[in-house]
Amino acid sequence: MTELICVGAIGGAFGVRGEVRLKSFCAEPADIETYGLLTTEDGSQTLSVHLTGSVKGGFTARLTGVETKEQADALRGIRLYAPRDRLPSLPDDEYYYTDLIGLDVYDTGGALLGKVRSVQNHGASDLLEIHGDGLKNTVLLPFTLTAVPTVDLNTGRIIVDPPDGLF
Amino acid sequence: MSRSVWKGPFVDAYVLKKAEASRESGRNEVIKIWSRRSTILPQFVGLTFGVYNGHKHIPVNVSEDMIGQKFGEYSPTRTYYGHAADKKAKRK
Repeated sequence: MTELICVGAIGGAFGVRGEVRLKSFCAEPADIETYGLLTTEDGSQTLSVHLTGSVKGGFTARLTGVETKEQADALRGIRLYAPRDRLPSLPDDEYYYTDLIGLDVYDTGGALLGKVRSVQNHGASDLLEIHGDGLKNTVLLPFTLTAVPTVDLNTGRIIVDPPDGLF
Repeated sequence: MSRSVWKGPFVDAYVLKKAEASRESGRNEVIKIWSRRSTILPQFVGLTFGVYNGHKHIPVNVSEDMIGQKFGEYSPTRTYYGHAADKKAKRK
């Protein structure tokens, strides 16, 4: 089964004609419309999104099969998921956060340091948050060619050469 | 009101010392600093600073387009991760 990625959430009804307020989690918020049919977490419902406008903090949208305000209200809080294989492929040295999260982290000597818990960007460069059994706290590692020389998505491992004083 | 030009940019002295020592040693290390108010100078480009956010030191790789900003701008003090969704990370 293809991995599902959360790309948005429904905020509730917008107006009385079955439109919904939609919150997008995508890097480019309007891209939520481009991923085709979206599903709920359990896969019980499949919805097609058509953006109709924008509101503060999101969009207004029309979903297939949702015609009334009551139907739209019933969807409040539901998260929308897209299959991972719908995301476009990326050039070398560019990775989706979802692909990096969960990878095993090894040092250059082959010792396991932990797993990638999240990827963050505070404006400088991307940072990998690494969490491991032997670590007291999580460690933030800059996602650079020198600090992370190897990323192997096939085997699910990252080899890092961290700067002194991080681990 | 902005800072007078004749004063030059403000940098805590210890940050300058640590940066100079790190550059001379040539070691690949994170320079831990607590001075969020210091301006990023051209001589800091290429170095990695661990900027304290009140909880831990956030690694900040200094690049050319960060010159003139303050270190604190790259080390947020509040936590909000958001969703990964289709966000991309680029290895530079």
